[in-house]
Amino acid sequence: AYAYLFKYIIIGDTGVGKSCLLLQFTDKRFQPVHDLTMGVEFGARMITIDGKQIKLQIWDTAGQESFRSITRSYYRGAAGALLVYDITRRDTFNHLTTWLEDARQHSNSNMVIMLIGNKSDLESRREVKKEEGEAFAREHGLIFMETSAKTASNVEEAFINTAKEIYEKIQEGVFDINNEANGIKIGPQHAATNASHGGNQGGQQAGGGCC
Amino acid sequence: MMTSVPPRKTWWKSKKTVKVRRSYSTFPSLNAWEKFRGLLPVDGETNPGVGLGVEEGLLCQMVHSPEFNLFPNSVVFESNFVQVRRSRDWKEIYKASNTMALGVTSSVPCLPLPNILLMARVIWHQGQSQTWNRPSTVPSINLKSILPLKFVELQIWDHHERILRLRTVTEKIYFLKLHPDHPETVFRFWIRLVQILHKGLSITTKDPTILVTHCLVPKSLCSPGGKSELVQKNSKGLQPSESLTHLMAQGESEALSQIFSDLHQQKQYSSSRSEKVQINKTSSEKATPCEDSIPCTCDLNWRDAFMFGEWERENPSGPQPHSLLSTLAASSRPRLSLIGGNSI
Repeated sequence: AYAYLFKYIIIGDTGVGKSCLLLQFTDKRFQPVHDLTMGVEFGARMITIDGKQIKLQIWDTAGQESFRSITRSYYRGAAGALLVYDITRRDTFNHLTTWLEDARQHSNSNMVIMLIGNKSDLESRREVKKEEGEAFAREHGLIFMETSAKTASNVEEAFINTAKEIYEKIQEGVFDINNEANGIKIGPQHAATNASHGGNQGGQQAGGGCC
Repeated sequence: MMTSVPPRKTWWKSKKTVKVRRSYSTFPSLNAWEKFRGLLPVDGETNPGVGLGVEEGLLCQMVHSPEFNLFPNSVVFESNFVQVRRSRDWKEIYKASNTMALGVTSSVPCLPLPNILLMARVIWHQGQSQTWNRPSTVPSINLKSILPLKFVELQIWDHHERILRLRTVTEKIYFLKLHPDHPETVFRFWIRLVQILHKGLSITTKDPTILVTHCLVPKSLCSPGGKSELVQKNSKGLQPSESLTHLMAQGESEALSQIFSDLHQQKQYSSSRSEKVQINKTSSEKATPCEDSIPCTCDLNWRDAFMFGEWERENPSGPQPHSLLSTLAASSRPRLSLIGGNSI
């Protein structure tokens, strides 16, 4: 049972580590070789924010151009997006604008977007400075983190901080939680009491088991 | 994990229908249907697809649930499989409590062929009977992936062992053995589905025997009142996209409809042969599917969905303008085979 369900999508060029980030977050493991994602792969995990159980339903999408048209269908109804690039591949950073335009065009305007520079463990091969990622995020109003799906560095934080941001928007009344197009669903036991949401800002975090 | 289940829907109970004249019988005649209804599944289920667990099953309930709300108006054809690998004999990869649900559906209900494959991991409770059709306790079912069928190849790999081979364009291969709990009929419908996916239906452009020289377009759709005849008229003035939408309005995914209509017939034939099936008289009192009516999605904003959907535009399985005559031609010639074939 959960208080809220947030739908996330993970987007970004092929090979940046989207599926690895998902696997690290849901299964706490790293798989160096991963099959190319074609359609959508799903993951889910329960987290706790402000004492409330929140289920993250994560849609891992295809990054390769051939499969990308499919991805666009699934921006709709997402509350959060993880926009991922690879810090060792400049081209994946250069394509962020296209991804962002796509996301903004096909999603709801309140969708929280977390920009992720992945593969931070490969410092020696870095092609994109952290400051560049920060600047891009600042310019486009995104949250930013560098992560490593391999070492698990910042992976939890990336998913959970995005959820916190969504939760805060709910508390502020930015998200209409009764509109499922926003990618938020109220859990069965919470539905009766949701009318009086307000006041409390999202705060505490705690990892949870896979659901 | 599935947490909520929407109310059951039956594809033939769509709010509005379009009557389509057929020169062949996909469904049995109404009288025949009524005659056989009493022989349908033992629990009083009026829909044999539901009775067999291939329609409105656990996978369908999950993707249609509020949690996913995917393809809410599309039929899902599904079964429970055991993932196996080849050695001297076929060996199960996972523990017996871990199975895989496989299903096909359409992103838009009125596409003529299914275009989506659904895969879900199913974890059964210890000692639980793995009955796909109405299990006593719902197992844990987790949707793992949605794949466009155009990137997937399904093959009947071992007929005797009831094994499908699923190969993706990225060369990921699964061998999936139909769960022993499913009757043979279910495997025959997978055979039929594989045939349809390979060769298409006469209603689609995949049928190479139909030569298209010009465009004939079914003109009218549903009347505002809900029921109307589908009139076929020459409509040279229509733009391809409009023609396409007219074609689309003919009904639910034709292939799935075909599977289910085959299923209905197959069920009846097998039921009439089986002495084990109990006669359930009360079932005949329930809603009757009309064999001449194909569910129409005219009240489902299907036009918007079609125009919006990126999958459909790029999906070669989707109907093309040239398929219009094929559709008409197909509807006026005798069917070669009504029941699912036994071989590929």
